[in-house]
Amino acid sequence: MKRMLPLAAGLAALLGATSANAACTVSGSGEVSTLSNAFPSLEVIARAMRDCSAGSVKVTTKLTTENNPETVQALKAAKSPYGLVALTNATITPAQAAGQLRPLNDFVAKYKAKYNIEDSMLIKFGNDVMAIAFQVNAQHLFYRKDILDAAGIAPPTSYDEMLAAAAKLKSTAGIEFAISGTYKSGWNLAEEFVNNYLGMGGQFFKDGSAEPAFNNPAAIKTLEVMKRLVGAMSPNALALDTGASAQQFMQGQVAMGNMWASRAANMDDPAQSKMVGKIAFAAAPTIMPGGKPATTLWWDGWAIPKNFDGDPELAFQVMMEGVKEDIVRANNDVAIWTRSIYKPGRFAVGTAASARAGAPPYPMVPQQALAHEAIGDHIGAYLAGQASAEKVLADATASYTAAAKAKGLLK
Amino acid sequence: MDRRSFVGFVAPSVLAMLLLILVPLLGTAWLSLHESYVKTELAEVRTTVPLFGGLSREDVRRVPQAVRDAAGNPVHVWNFVGLDNFANVLGLDRLGQAMAATPVRIGQLYRDVTSIEFWGALEFSLLYIAATTPCVLLLGFALALAVDATSRRVRGALIFASLLPFIITPVVGALSIYWLFLDNAIVNAGLQGLGFAKFYFLSGALPIRSLIILYGVWHATPFAFVVLYAGLQTLPQDALEAALVDGATRWQRLWLVIVPHLVPLFVFVGLIHMMDAYRVFEPVLVFGSNLYANSLQYMTYRILNTEDNYSKAAAASLLTVLGIVILLIPILRRMWRERQTA
Repeated sequence: MKRMLPLAAGLAALLGATSANAACTVSGSGEVSTLSNAFPSLEVIARAMRDCSAGSVKVTTKLTTENNPETVQALKAAKSPYGLVALTNATITPAQAAGQLRPLNDFVAKYKAKYNIEDSMLIKFGNDVMAIAFQVNAQHLFYRKDILDAAGIAPPTSYDEMLAAAAKLKSTAGIEFAISGTYKSGWNLAEEFVNNYLGMGGQFFKDGSAEPAFNNPAAIKTLEVMKRLVGAMSPNALALDTGASAQQFMQGQVAMGNMWASRAANMDDPAQSKMVGKIAFAAAPTIMPGGKPATTLWWDGWAIPKNFDGDPELAFQVMMEGVKEDIVRANNDVAIWTRSIYKPGRFAVGTAASARAGAPPYPMVPQQALAHEAIGDHIGAYLAGQASAEKVLADATASYTAAAKAKGLLK
Repeated sequence: MDRRSFVGFVAPSVLAMLLLILVPLLGTAWLSLHESYVKTELAEVRTTVPLFGGLSREDVRRVPQAVRDAAGNPVHVWNFVGLDNFANVLGLDRLGQAMAATPVRIGQLYRDVTSIEFWGALEFSLLYIAATTPCVLLLGFALALAVDATSRRVRGALIFASLLPFIITPVVGALSIYWLFLDNAIVNAGLQGLGFAKFYFLSGALPIRSLIILYGVWHATPFAFVVLYAGLQTLPQDALEAALVDGATRWQRLWLVIVPHLVPLFVFVGLIHMMDAYRVFEPVLVFGSNLYANSLQYMTYRILNTEDNYSKAAAASLLTVLGIVILLIPILRRMWRERQTA
């Protein structure tokens, strides 16, 4: 028995550490299930939400990187099994346009004081609060400070500089493919196109309509730059997902590239990274001279499905328990939180610099999601050398038009 | 058996088939003939989103918004569209353009047609069947013979180990293979350790398709193995002994006694595997995401989830069912004829 004591104490300490937020004070009863993507800050939030399970309240959380398809189905169903769904700039707009989200104004007013809900956390469409944002996220420059310093290269501020740096590292430091990127054909690749095309000053739709306008010289120029970048990446680049790309940084295979801010903290985690302390962050590079950083600013937040089969007020409280000030304070460096008590650290540098230099938010229009998918399905063929830029843009436009017509967004 | 008890025995399974197969199939067919969406109109909307450090951005744009009825609920549109969804999935307009192009060059025509999503997906689905089926049958048979030849004591453990790839959830298996072949992952590290140059396994259609086929063989061989191994336990011992007495070689016994005995099982395993392989999904999701390898099942998933279009996805899945039927007709006809002559 005596031998068991240290073990028990250790276990207690462990439990104490994981349930530091055990002071969950929700009123009501029932079940709330959540559905979200899976990355570090969402794991922290999910843990805090699960701590609300007690007595007649039961909270279950589901975290998966394939959350979006399931979210779409849940919102569309007669009744949603999920009381809380995590949404972003891109995923909220189709749901909002179809009237699938519950406005949160009443709950925000009621719980504003208790949870110190700040205006900068509210995602508003007109006067309706449709989601509570807990963090911002963006792709920005990650680079190996040690390698660039040793080669006498300044952190690149444009893609031309980045390509020149890659060429120099290839000839002097023997790094064959110095650049990494989240270029997996499909959604990730389309996200890169959105970043770069907006950075090139492009726009996706004719003003005030859902008519496509992304088959033009700016789009072709964007694709040409992307192809040059792919040439300086691992030949596997078009099949590497975000996780594999982050691994390239953490294993020390690459020297620079655009990566999600939400992965920054992983770089310094000795459990996964061999490059602790060696990776620095800066604004996303520009794609054209004098342009804005070629990236888009994202928010991540929570919303309540209108068709939720349970008590929305309980769901709202669980949501706020997950993103309350204690949680942010205890996990400051896990994300770039929207709360004002957040102290920006070194992992926020890249997003902050991109935002200050005028990077735009990811376009919040409902037809953007369809354009994004159509682009992701086709431009890979150009980057892989299977088709011309003109052809893939024409194909993407045709796919978008068909999809938008089927959804009644285009006549 | 009299008619009444026959009906009594058969009725439950007929009812279950009606409920679980026919009704969903009819429902899918019904969906595929319609279009459905929330009716929208362009309206000016002001959005407010956080940027950074307490700053937010306001944006006013004309965007599609739901049209609402008197009670404030979104208006749903539900129209009969005939076979439009099928024409869309098959890409008939682009197919027509590709066919009309002159002069006709076979290679170019093939590339144009397979660049249409459906036909590209069909191409790889068929390729996957053609490549995996013989490998699965041969390897499964070899494994069955090998395990059958071992001593009884180790057999249980061997059978369990051989079945593992079949038990592992397909998406987990596919992910494991994907992770094995990443840039700096174990396979590359191992090859480099042996002095080989770095090979990029995910760098194009050929290596990625090969990996997907490798995955398919790895995943499905245990099924062939376990069925054929069971078949080996039913070998007619007297025929084998007679062959021995007649001085048949090992090869002759295998080819002239064992294989003919197992033919119905080969056909069974082959049929099941072909139906399964036609619906290949997980490795395509993990590896290809339709640039290097697409499949009909992945295409249906993509239409349903990223285009968010139930009706078109219903049309795609019906075309998949139709494809399986066409694929199996020659084999089923042959079996039927053999049955008639027997």
